Amino acid sequence: MNRKTFLPILLFPLAAIAQNPIIHNQFCADPTARVFNGRLYLYPSHDINPPQPLPQGVREDWFCMEDYHVFSSDNLVDWTDHGVILNQKDVPWGNPGAYSMWAPDCVERNGKYYFYYPDAPKEGRGFSIGVAIADKPEGPFTPVASNIEGVNGIDPCVLLASDGNAYLFWGPGLCAKLKDNMTEIADDTPTETFKFGEREFTMRGVNCLKGLPNRQAEGPFAFEYNGNYYLTYPYVRENTEVLGYAMSKNPMGPYEYKGLIMAEHPNGCWTNHHSIVNFKGQWYIFYHQNDYSPENDKRRSVRIEKLAFNADGTIQEVKPTLRGVGIVNALSRIEVDRYAEGSSDLKLNFMDEGDKFQGWEVNFPAKTSWLSFTDVDFSALQNGYVTANVKADKNTKFFIREKSAKGKVIAEFNVVCVTEGQFRRDYSGQWLTVTAPVKYCPKGISDIYITTQDGGLSIDYVQFKNHESYFNPSTSASIAPDAEGFIRRWFILEPIAKDIRSNTDFTDTYLKNAFHDTEYRKIFDVVPTDGKKVKFQKQSLTWHKLDATRYNMKLFRFAETYGTKLYGVLFSGITVIKCDEEIKNVRLSAGSNAASSWYLNGEEILLLQGDRRMVKDDCVSGLVTLKKGINILSVSVINGPGMSDFCARFIDENGNAVTNYNIE
Amino acid sequence: MKKYIFIFSTALAFHNIDAQVGQPYIHDPSTIAECDGKYYTFGTGGGGLISDDGGWTWHGGAERPGGGAAPDVVKIGDRYLVAYSATGGGLGGGHYGRILTMWNKTLDPKSPDFKYTTPVEVALSDGVEDCDAIDAGLLYDPDQNRLWVSYGTYFGNIRMVELDPATGKLLEGCKPIDIAIDCEATDLLYREGWYYLLGTHGTCCDGVNSTYNIVVGRSKSVEGPYIDNVGRDMKQGGGKMVVATGDRAVGAGHFGRFIVDDGVEVMSCHWEADFYQGGRSVLAIMPLLWKNDWPKAGEKIKAGVYEIQSERRGYALEIATDFVRIPQERRMWWRLDPNEKVDTLKLQQLSDVEQGWSKGDLPVRLSDFMFRPNQKWRIEPVEGKGGYLGNPYFKITIDGTDRTLTAADNLEVIATEDFAGDDTQLWRIEQAIDGTYRIMPKRLPGESADNTRYVLYSIGDSSPVLKEWDFSTDNAKWNIVKHDF
Repeated sequence: MNRKTFLPILLFPLAAIAQNPIIHNQFCADPTARVFNGRLYLYPSHDINPPQPLPQGVREDWFCMEDYHVFSSDNLVDWTDHGVILNQKDVPWGNPGAYSMWAPDCVERNGKYYFYYPDAPKEGRGFSIGVAIADKPEGPFTPVASNIEGVNGIDPCVLLASDGNAYLFWGPGLCAKLKDNMTEIADDTPTETFKFGEREFTMRGVNCLKGLPNRQAEGPFAFEYNGNYYLTYPYVRENTEVLGYAMSKNPMGPYEYKGLIMAEHPNGCWTNHHSIVNFKGQWYIFYHQNDYSPENDKRRSVRIEKLAFNADGTIQEVKPTLRGVGIVNALSRIEVDRYAEGSSDLKLNFMDEGDKFQGWEVNFPAKTSWLSFTDVDFSALQNGYVTANVKADKNTKFFIREKSAKGKVIAEFNVVCVTEGQFRRDYSGQWLTVTAPVKYCPKGISDIYITTQDGGLSIDYVQFKNHESYFNPSTSASIAPDAEGFIRRWFILEPIAKDIRSNTDFTDTYLKNAFHDTEYRKIFDVVPTDGKKVKFQKQSLTWHKLDATRYNMKLFRFAETYGTKLYGVLFSGITVIKCDEEIKNVRLSAGSNAASSWYLNGEEILLLQGDRRMVKDDCVSGLVTLKKGINILSVSVINGPGMSDFCARFIDENGNAVTNYNIE
Repeated sequence: MKKYIFIFSTALAFHNIDAQVGQPYIHDPSTIAECDGKYYTFGTGGGGLISDDGGWTWHGGAERPGGGAAPDVVKIGDRYLVAYSATGGGLGGGHYGRILTMWNKTLDPKSPDFKYTTPVEVALSDGVEDCDAIDAGLLYDPDQNRLWVSYGTYFGNIRMVELDPATGKLLEGCKPIDIAIDCEATDLLYREGWYYLLGTHGTCCDGVNSTYNIVVGRSKSVEGPYIDNVGRDMKQGGGKMVVATGDRAVGAGHFGRFIVDDGVEVMSCHWEADFYQGGRSVLAIMPLLWKNDWPKAGEKIKAGVYEIQSERRGYALEIATDFVRIPQERRMWWRLDPNEKVDTLKLQQLSDVEQGWSKGDLPVRLSDFMFRPNQKWRIEPVEGKGGYLGNPYFKITIDGTDRTLTAADNLEVIATEDFAGDDTQLWRIEQAIDGTYRIMPKRLPGESADNTRYVLYSIGDSSPVLKEWDFSTDNAKWNIVKHDF
């Protein structure tokens, strides 16, 4: 029976999504959450849209489930899909075309993982329950050849009680003790008589919900906490299912009904089905709603909320939310349409009606509209900015605030849909990426609020980002060139503004006029210190001593950080090279965007003219000598439009990098 | 001096017929896609070009919604996937780019099936980071059924993501990878174990002063590193030139590869400015060669007088006429005075031999090349006869006569005495990827459809026939050799 061993062949890290629903690329329902080895494993059933043409006995408007996936997470935010662990075709006793793989469970005993699942048997009507066994929570699972003898019904749940026994609950609240092999029920399991409407059935098992509110009860989930046994279950109070619960001092009852855990779904989703788990000291309820399938409540999605107990052991009623649980890293996409609270006029729309798994946008109709999103972790945000995916009908603004709708402004976004001028663009009604600087960064974990200036705005998500690091202030006494010989330490002067129409202006003559200008050359007369100011024409400019984080010095980013102008600029750089011995017959090898001029010890040794991209080893000087002691290498880079940068290294006569010197 | 003026005016006269004519005005042309026998390319701004007369002339009329910059198109199964960017690209659009994809069952706007799906976003840049997510370049590998898109501009890095070829959406969990710096209009392609990244360097959008040029790096992995011919990573600015300028046109940009046949490929791009066409930005299509597994733009055949040389034996195509000896004073070479002044001997002229040539059709054969009039072929484009992807049809005549290379019955070739303008006398001449040429008659006698199978072929060293194109044999290949006649 080796062929019945299922290797999990797929392992998909799903994009982090802390909000409800938690699995956003497929339907899944009836979630049983278990903690194994400190990690949370989720065993849901797997709703699908039925194959077309419809297989025999399958209805378009009914549940359709052919296999099981298992998911896992260690933070309830980042989920891994371990792929299919069991398909209906591989159940030895099951009908391979029944699409009836309903709510499962999985428990660990003596190092083995026992996966319990309902399926339609090959012969006869109704459902039976089978077991598949694995050495690991994610499988591979090997199904046991036959179903559990004597158990008819759906929705298995196994309680490993502190009395040392394992109890199987299923169907409308039946319970039987499992034998030590975990695949058979105890021989002394009694038989009960049931009435469904006018019809009577006899079934094995103790009916733990006898006499309790139990209309159309199913999906029992039993657990033990603080000396109490809890039997929780969906049943129909009025028209659709609620989650109720009962308590007992014994696993098999008698149970006393205690009330609701969750009321009917406000959107009319008929079913609910759940599990309750303690993970890292917090209780959670996993349940489902038809978030991604509003038109058909047989295609459901798993959600999570926190759950709390009263002092007497009773359970506090849980309200379903969009926000769900989990701390959201500010550097991940914050799906604000999954808000915790908001003004009553907010409207939710699918991003793509044709593919609802793309999620939602939230529309702020009025300037009084607002929402909150709780538990955002800002601790990884340093030198940051924030982006958002937004759609507006006119140029407008919105705000991210901390802790309240009138709270401190974290960021203020200008949404520019229409730009005037030569390159007029009209992006009204289109999705746009907008960015804003972070004005104020909250400490640690906090709640954000979004408010708008005018309303008339939709937001898909917001996301904080750290600026990339291109250079850092030099701190060490000296550094060596990098492995490729690139010089990464430079004094760079804040850029001099130039009126430049096009980079094709950079002819040899133009550059000589710019670079050889007597007044300009005075800038290089003295080796600067970090922070030293110089005057050029009427501009007061500061030298910055920097170590580049990569082989090239990103002058555009330097201008962004320290300058007043990004394009139409002249950059000046100096580096101090200290040689223990004279290094003869080397060449300076440089690339720059755009044109540049290079001086070694006061003499021009290289000119890169014209409109250039920065390319490693673009231009190479004649043979030069680095003298013993201090050598001064200076560079001027001029650029019109585009991103400016340069790279420079010395190479020997064979073209190999020269690295046997230090940069002071 | 007079001679040079003559040559110049000849070149000018022939140029327009050499070009992709019609109204091929476009910037950033997508890879050319074929749909129901018509060719399409989409450009910046929304529309695109159609060629529906057999692939030679182009006119506007291709339709793509969304505007924006530099789209690309690829056929996957029986659908076309179009990638484009509505935002970004600077110039008032900021660098907030996003790559969008959408499907269409047809590219023909007149088809009832012509309907684009709702665009979906597969990549974006936030306007601050080192990327501007425009200029999509799609690569679909049918063998692995995998799909990638490269994107980006001079604003930082060129990036790549993998898409789901079934949906055109971003593959679940896929994160962008940096594969180059300082490029625009990139394209990815795969050939024989190598992935190639083509990017455009130089100055864009400056008309006749644009220095746009297409460079390439290659990698054994689609994720890079893409290394150039001197071992330099494209992330350090590396790149080997594929094409920079053409026939009096400058600013090659936005590469696209189109496989015509086994061993016959063309590349499309735009010229920032074609001096022959008012300095406008136009579509260019030229042969694509592969030398040592590097792509290189080839040579379009130009009007002129040539030897047509077999790649099989190196013999020259000629009309079957008597070998007429050239009179020469015979002297014993060991008795010649080395200090004596030597004269240039005249080549044999047509007038020396033509009166001896039979009237009517003549057989065509292959023989030692001797600079003889019966071996001098004038190759000229024929106006008003259309063409194929990249070239017009040519007539091939013995220089100074109307004796015309013609496809004859039973897959033979002959030279007729006159050029009648018949389709059997029109030839498609395409450079193969190894630099040789294939020479194919437009139509075979008695056939109603254009011929796309039979080519001039050396069945023996001296015997040409028409036979199916087969890139794996030198019998099917020819060199078009320029001589000082």
